[in-house]
Amino acid sequence: MKSLHNKVVWPSLVAILVVWMGCDQGSEKPMVSIFQFEKPAHFPEPTYTFRNNEVNEKGFNLGKMLFFDPSLSRDGSIACSSCHVQSHAFADTWLHPFSFGVEDRQGVRNAPPLFNLAFHKEFFWDGGVTHLDFAPILAFESEIEMDISFEDVVGRIQRNDAYKALFREAFGIEEVTGPYVLHALSQFMLMMVSADSRYDQYILGDQQALSSVELEGLVLFRQHCESCHREPLFTDLSYRNNGVQRQISDLGRETITEVSEDRAKFKVPSLRNIEVTSPYMHNARFEGLLQVLNHYTQGVQDQENIDPLIFKDGKPMIQLSEDEKTKIIAFLKSLTDNNFLSNPIFFNSNDR
Amino acid sequence: MQFIRQTLTILAFAMLSIATFSCQENENPTLEDSGEMIVKFDNYVGNQTMVIDEVGSTNYRYSNNSGQKFNLTRFGYYISHIKLEGPNGEVFIDEMNAAADANQIKGYYQVVQGNSETYNIHLKGIPHGQYNKITFNLGVKEDGIQEGAVGGILDRAAGGWFWNWNSGFINYIIEGHSDASLRDENRVQIHIGGWKNIPSGDETPQRFFDNNVAVSLPFDATVTVSNTLRPSPHIMMDLLKVIGDTDLSTENNIHSPAAGKAFAPKLADAFIVDHTHQ
Repeated sequence: MKSLHNKVVWPSLVAILVVWMGCDQGSEKPMVSIFQFEKPAHFPEPTYTFRNNEVNEKGFNLGKMLFFDPSLSRDGSIACSSCHVQSHAFADTWLHPFSFGVEDRQGVRNAPPLFNLAFHKEFFWDGGVTHLDFAPILAFESEIEMDISFEDVVGRIQRNDAYKALFREAFGIEEVTGPYVLHALSQFMLMMVSADSRYDQYILGDQQALSSVELEGLVLFRQHCESCHREPLFTDLSYRNNGVQRQISDLGRETITEVSEDRAKFKVPSLRNIEVTSPYMHNARFEGLLQVLNHYTQGVQDQENIDPLIFKDGKPMIQLSEDEKTKIIAFLKSLTDNNFLSNPIFFNSNDR
Repeated sequence: MQFIRQTLTILAFAMLSIATFSCQENENPTLEDSGEMIVKFDNYVGNQTMVIDEVGSTNYRYSNNSGQKFNLTRFGYYISHIKLEGPNGEVFIDEMNAAADANQIKGYYQVVQGNSETYNIHLKGIPHGQYNKITFNLGVKEDGIQEGAVGGILDRAAGGWFWNWNSGFINYIIEGHSDASLRDENRVQIHIGGWKNIPSGDETPQRFFDNNVAVSLPFDATVTVSNTLRPSPHIMMDLLKVIGDTDLSTENNIHSPAAGKAFAPKLADAFIVDHTHQ
């Protein structure tokens, strides 16, 4: 009896092990790649649907190729990269307070920078786009941007043999369709993670990363700015009217939610890389950070839906001395992430 | 000791069989106990059959309840979340999946007037039994939007009706011309969409409007799904139930959830099961 058991039990256990191992397809660990999305330790969980579109090197490179390709605009003149420039944190340069689309058509809102998009739930100044994948559709189809139907974009890609082969390699598909174009672009944009400024180094434990003036600025920032520009993204992702329009002409968030309570509200922008994204505000009203702070301390006027954290009971809510402004600006410049601004993985490689 | 060995033996066999079976292709064990149904959609304008005219046509075939004449150059709607129910507790819930791969899209259907292939929704895997009621969602809910870019009939590059500026699908689309419309080329565009409600609070208003509509239709007779029986309910949709009382001189340019809100309650009443083929 004993020998029978031994004959049965142990081979069975071995068999189980073999079958289980055969089942476990995830046991082979993929090589760690610089083209994988990694959440910075001090960031919240990303909101992007990575389960449907995991970043990999081929998809990323394909997205980059699309991002830098002007042939995806109606007249072949404008690429995503025309208005989203890496050295400006993928905002437009200060030369273009409003970006130029096809035929030099001028935009109506300042091109927003692109980074940490995996952590946002809504996109553009009014937040009308509810998933990163859909953001490029609006840029393609806007008459003042690339002015081309998304259907035509995909058609042009389908007729391009080089793209066809790359989509096959990245996604295993024979025919390029809309969602894969959007997935490739998202993969490229998702990798735009900016979390390596001196502020971040300080947060992650390097006490020397910030100077004493910058540290004083951080304390002041937390007193006066933090409630909207919340760390670590430096935005609370909400919509507010900070009174930056003298007369309300752009309805902002109201266009999307269709209630007057949201009139003139815009998404609170991140302050990361603020040093390189001048001019500021959706209407590009201010060229310098001192002007911005002066707006909050004395420029802001009462207005419909004015944010009570900014203006209440007939007066501005934020009071800062000139010295305090200087310190806050010093701190804001510590949010510049030079490794992100010069990361070669984002460089245009289409002409290679 | 003996007892432990015996237990171990039994356990080993049990685990071996579980491990072996769990590795196999997941076959539907009730496949032979399930059948099919074809749900057919017929669109009408009052008692006239629906015809799609060329963009620019001034042949106004139809008129609304106040005599405003119009034609249609594009018409259709999305159907999703189909459910069948029977008198004896039978329930079939159509599987839903939104994905980039068009072949992986499940449970979303686009009825496009002028493309007869889209009029028939072929439901499979229905448990054998009797059915006398169909329920579906008119439109695309959050589960078809917030997964990100999706393919097939939901792909904007391939005929999907998708708003680029305020993400979401147009649940029910009406385009055409009317001599009552003073827009360029007497255009009429009524795009009814919207998929979320942010309800009002003490000091905050309702934001957005969910214009997805639950449609629940009893069959005119109980039908049987079996190995040999594949029933086909015919659903009739009457556009005049939706825009019969609409003043096309003013309501001819509807492009947002709030603007479409007034139409949404009328949508459910536009559908009836006319008859069923057993």
